[in-house]
Amino acid sequence: MKQSITIGSAELSNPVLTASGTFGYGLEFQEFFDVGRLGAICTKGLSLEPRLGNRPTRIAETPAGMLNAIGLANVGVEAFCTEKLPKLQDQGVTVVANIFASTTKDFVAIAERLARESGVLALELNVSCPNVSEGGIEFGKNPNMCAELTAATKAATDTPIWVKMSPEAPSIIAVAQACEDAGAEAITAINTIRGMRIDIAKRQPVLARGMGGFSGPSLKPVALRIVYELAASIGIPIIAIGGISTTEDALEFLFAGASAIQVGTASFIDPLAAHHVRVGIENYCEAHQLNASDLIGLAQAAKK
Amino acid sequence: MKKLITAPLLDREEIGAGYHVLTFDAPDSPAAAPGQFLMMRATSWGDAPLLPRPMSYLSGGDKPQVLIKVIGEGTARMATAQPGEEYSLLGPLGKTWPESTLGKTPILVAGGVGVAPLVFLARRFQAQGVQPVVLYGGRTDQDLPLSDLLDSIADLHVTTEDGSRGDKGRVTGPLMSMLNDSVEIFTCGPDRMMAAVATIAQERQVPCQASLEAPMACGFGVCLGCPVMKTSGEYLYTCVDGPCVNAADIDWNADQ
Repeated sequence: MKQSITIGSAELSNPVLTASGTFGYGLEFQEFFDVGRLGAICTKGLSLEPRLGNRPTRIAETPAGMLNAIGLANVGVEAFCTEKLPKLQDQGVTVVANIFASTTKDFVAIAERLARESGVLALELNVSCPNVSEGGIEFGKNPNMCAELTAATKAATDTPIWVKMSPEAPSIIAVAQACEDAGAEAITAINTIRGMRIDIAKRQPVLARGMGGFSGPSLKPVALRIVYELAASIGIPIIAIGGISTTEDALEFLFAGASAIQVGTASFIDPLAAHHVRVGIENYCEAHQLNASDLIGLAQAAKK
Repeated sequence: MKKLITAPLLDREEIGAGYHVLTFDAPDSPAAAPGQFLMMRATSWGDAPLLPRPMSYLSGGDKPQVLIKVIGEGTARMATAQPGEEYSLLGPLGKTWPESTLGKTPILVAGGVGVAPLVFLARRFQAQGVQPVVLYGGRTDQDLPLSDLLDSIADLHVTTEDGSRGDKGRVTGPLMSMLNDSVEIFTCGPDRMMAAVATIAQERQVPCQASLEAPMACGFGVCLGCPVMKTSGEYLYTCVDGPCVNAADIDWNADQ
């Protein structure tokens, strides 16, 4: 059965992607499986200049989940273009560049730099990082700011723009609709939710930054509810993310109305998680004689 | 090359004071070298505890071993694991201890559960016909797992803070008296111990290798959870740039 999926003007070979920040620059996983077989990988968030990231402690475990406050440590867009992207292209990997900045001007500059390269399928605007003091989540909470950013970035490049939602926006639907109106081709939902842990012995937060982004299997019901609501409210495709570890998790999100899914934290626990989900969806489609695109939104009440 | 395998626990030996040696039956395990580590979790854990635990190899081969100390939820479960229980093992990961400098006498400085990669290293020295000196420190004689094993393959010196075994005090005392131009140090233990050892090594201009420990989710350079500050002002990542590093490259005073 056909596994290809259309996301705006982009065609993906299948609906399984990997989430930014959980898959490095893709190259780290080539020892485990052929990453080129995935629908796409989303890079670690790229900034205009390299970033060291936050001081440790950066991660902590929670019940069926984890917290991270990495602070967008990354090589910077220039090194990505010269050192990482050529290797990814050589290996046939479909790349979505996740980009981050604290100002619209810098978002545009990153988009312009990436526009000079071939082989970037889409730009995923990270307007929802909880772990940096400027920009990030402030963009993602405000429909007007998000729309302006989407339009400005879109004007700077021919590459499709996807926008990654913060679950902490007062109205995610309003933010997503604003992005759609401003020309975004897809919505990625959701980024992490801010959470924290406290060290009883030290009587202080475990993470050096106090709070961090909460991810993993325990996030799934919240993400699924948001995707389900978004799917009924916007016209552009949704790429779902939030606690997806297995084929069954992925199917729930597709049935909720997502056109594709991202495997995130699960890749830390099993580097082959995304591969297994891709194969699992393919098997499901064969067993039920459905194309992958037929799975989208099967559980939406409106369709009953 | 690293590989993700599933292997049954062959044996769990409780060696006292919350320490256990776990042995796996892993005929398809890739070869591991002293200093490398693996990420491990039992299949039965399901979604909680979620993350695999980084553990240094105590020995490699097709029956790899790790030494664990009960610290949290993951190690508590490992400490009650029964033979036959299935584990996922991802390894070998990280940088090995470097080969020793020709003609130098290795001094291995160990603290607590940090002894594991040094036992593996001592075995390599033994196989090379070199008898290393091992300086092993603990709070009490309860905090010296595998000391009998080390006594049989190395020139072992023990210190305890309460004087219940060996010299009373810390490893740094005897270490000072052993340093000269023909020795080099390999250390693994609590950060404060390694920082003290590294400082002494630097003052006396003795080469010193350290095996770092940091929380991490993945073990292969992706989660970025395990940064350690270098003297250059940049971070290294314990999983891929370590765990074995030149102690002189580390900013031991950084908040980490």
